[in-house]
Amino acid sequence: MVKLEDLKKEAKRILKSGKVKYIIGYAKGADGLMPIPAFIKDPDGADDLTWNPACVHNLTKFIVDEKKRLKQDKNPDNRPIGIIVKGCDSRAINVLLQEKYIDREDVYLLGVSCEKTGVVDEKKLAKKLKGQRAVQIDVEDNGNFIVTTESGSEKIPAEDVLAERCIECKANFPVIFDIVFGEKIKRRVDNPFQSVEKIEALPQEDRWKFWMEQLDKCIRCYACRSVCPMCYCDECVVDTISFVVEPDTTAEEKAQKIKWIEKSPNLSENIVYHLTRAMHLAGRCIDCGECERVCPLDIPIRFLNKKMEKDAKNLFDYEVGFDPDQPSLVSSFKDEDPEDFIR
Amino acid sequence: MAEEFEPKIVAFLCKWCSSAGSDLAGVSRMEYPPNVIPIQVMCSGSVSPLYILSAFKKGADGVLVSGCHPGDCHYIKGNFYARRRIALVKELLEYLGFDPERFQMSWVSAAEGLKYTEIIKDFVNALKPLGPQTKLRRNP
Amino acid sequence: MEKILQKKAFPKWVEKLDAYEIYAPVKKDNYWSYEIINTSGDIGLDFPNTVQAPKKIINPQREVFLEFGRSEENSLEVTEVLPEEKSGVIFGVRPCDAKALLLTDLVFSGDIKDGYYGKRRKQTAIVGLSCNTPPSPNCFCTSVDGSPHSQDGFDILLTDLGDRYFVKSLTKKGDELINLGKSIFTAPKDSDKKELTKIHTESEKKLKRQVKDAKKIPPKLKEMFESPFWDEESMSCLRCGICTYLCPTCHCFDISDEVTSVAPFKGYRIRTWDNCQFPDFTMHSSGHNPRPDKASRLRQRIMHKYQYFVERYQNYQCTGCGRCVSKCPVGIDIIEVLNKVRDYG
Repeated sequence: MVKLEDLKKEAKRILKSGKVKYIIGYAKGADGLMPIPAFIKDPDGADDLTWNPACVHNLTKFIVDEKKRLKQDKNPDNRPIGIIVKGCDSRAINVLLQEKYIDREDVYLLGVSCEKTGVVDEKKLAKKLKGQRAVQIDVEDNGNFIVTTESGSEKIPAEDVLAERCIECKANFPVIFDIVFGEKIKRRVDNPFQSVEKIEALPQEDRWKFWMEQLDKCIRCYACRSVCPMCYCDECVVDTISFVVEPDTTAEEKAQKIKWIEKSPNLSENIVYHLTRAMHLAGRCIDCGECERVCPLDIPIRFLNKKMEKDAKNLFDYEVGFDPDQPSLVSSFKDEDPEDFIR
Repeated sequence: MAEEFEPKIVAFLCKWCSSAGSDLAGVSRMEYPPNVIPIQVMCSGSVSPLYILSAFKKGADGVLVSGCHPGDCHYIKGNFYARRRIALVKELLEYLGFDPERFQMSWVSAAEGLKYTEIIKDFVNALKPLGPQTKLRRNP
Repeated sequence: MEKILQKKAFPKWVEKLDAYEIYAPVKKDNYWSYEIINTSGDIGLDFPNTVQAPKKIINPQREVFLEFGRSEENSLEVTEVLPEEKSGVIFGVRPCDAKALLLTDLVFSGDIKDGYYGKRRKQTAIVGLSCNTPPSPNCFCTSVDGSPHSQDGFDILLTDLGDRYFVKSLTKKGDELINLGKSIFTAPKDSDKKELTKIHTESEKKLKRQVKDAKKIPPKLKEMFESPFWDEESMSCLRCGICTYLCPTCHCFDISDEVTSVAPFKGYRIRTWDNCQFPDFTMHSSGHNPRPDKASRLRQRIMHKYQYFVERYQNYQCTGCGRCVSKCPVGIDIIEVLNKVRDYG
């Protein structure tokens, strides 16, 4: 069991020692079940920390934010940042280390194990509770969730409300950490890519219909991009913001500026946006599922990125996020790479 | 008489091998269908997925990426990176439900003018029954 | 006029409206959304609020302004593309969303009239449903001069009385719609009117969240422009843009040219929604950005809604629908922020 008291004690300890600038963790939200990301700057603030199966957020995005903020700071405070990471989040840290976006000394990792379960899917839980509102969720030793609503508590087996990605998860224990809470319990994962295979098994026209319906909904709010820790480009291919227009910029130059993806939400533009993003995340996405969770229109974005992860494993024997020293997927190659599709 | 559908193929040809190969086909007066719009790139490894998606978005019925044989790349490793990247793009397009026959890759060396003509002939024959590409094409 | 409509007879009324394009809330997997209805049987008004506000119908995400191209004689031709002449009805609009349309009217149909918005607005009738219970746990309409049974912005307001609707027509357009149904409606009895008053009074007490003394907020905000308060509140903001895109009152837009073909030269000038939470919203063409950080953008959002708009139009630019609270991925809660602002210092 992950003991919240131990977590708080360690947080207080390193904050008191001044070793870290602040700690990013989860704290109780103002209203309802979901916690919010909290930035604890002093030891007393560590009492606000919480840990339960509703802690779905991937906090590594804030490490990326901090890195960008430091670049503009005139007197940067270069102490490391403490961060609470689950198994999936620790893989994100590995990818950031692999790409040399951060150094190992920039972060102090407080790992927490998901043990037998994982995090809860809010939408599945809402369906299960049939309209009642959950205010608290805890996990029992044997892997059940105890959900408290306004009318009392009930026990729910974890598999009924676990997030899809947890069911396919290969890393329920942090793969990189400075200190870890909870035990390493091996969870049997029969088929880590079953959700992708279900879609692959559909006939071609059904697959196209499915994706067309889903991607037509997209309003290009870019929440998926904003929440992803791997999307840290200063200028995204969609935005084209840094084209400086000066008095002597010619009309020719302005007209020649390549715009790959138009701003308006057309089906074909949406497809190009999502496919490009999936390609940019090939070999980098660690399936934290945040993109799908935040999408206001429930577009199953995770399936695109997961397909890339499956191809990385099956075609190129590449596992994402377990080894911070491996080269990135698309800037490396093996002699045995498949070429049966090439004439 | 109804006009037969003529597919438009956009071909990204690497300058040092495939583009030279297509030039050889031309200089040797080999006959092959005129449906190709060739775009010369420096190396097949420089072909970004955005080029491919952009070609389909603008209405290309088929896209071909062609480079040097493995080991012969003018920039040593470019075609190896292309091999990986194009494999991923191909898988992704097929996953979406896009016709896999519309996107092809080949190794064509500067001496293989004949092979180039055969690739184009077969490509055009494969595309004719599929009809115009409407899935990724931009509809204003 | 006031009428009673039995719930069973509701589809019959919708069938009479076949000259109109009908929008109603439709359940899509896990969320509700306003979509075009083809058969009257599909309408169910038993729904919490939709994820996207009805503004997407009147002020669409993508609106074509102009079409331009080069003609055969090589001259440049530009044609205006106006919205289609099509009367529409949106069913099931909540009072907060209807009030939001009135607020947007102040901007788009005030001193300067936007022809595209105006045309769509004029040809769309709004049939609302008052909130007997709050549709969202984060509703706070009463705190911002709204109410769960407010009539502002509606052509017709329906109140659910159990097995029937109390139908109140508020405009000539509403009268027309009811007259198309004629015999399907009956006159209300005194007991119906008593029930209506009871439901309306009780509905106001059921809201779970409030911003007390909201009047104190605009002057407080004016003092807090340079405060470090905004840095703390925006620490976890991801600049994802969900709050603004789902907000029924937010209306900022961007205009861009999309060239669809080079030979022959052809393209469109298109208006799309823009979002003040995006980092490049205020990016100047020189490269300078006056709102480069999250703190300044969160401050902008709160101040626009609760200070600038109040100063200009004497109305809060927020109707308390609670969507931004429910959908923010990191739980930034506008109600909490406003309460903190009011008590700051």
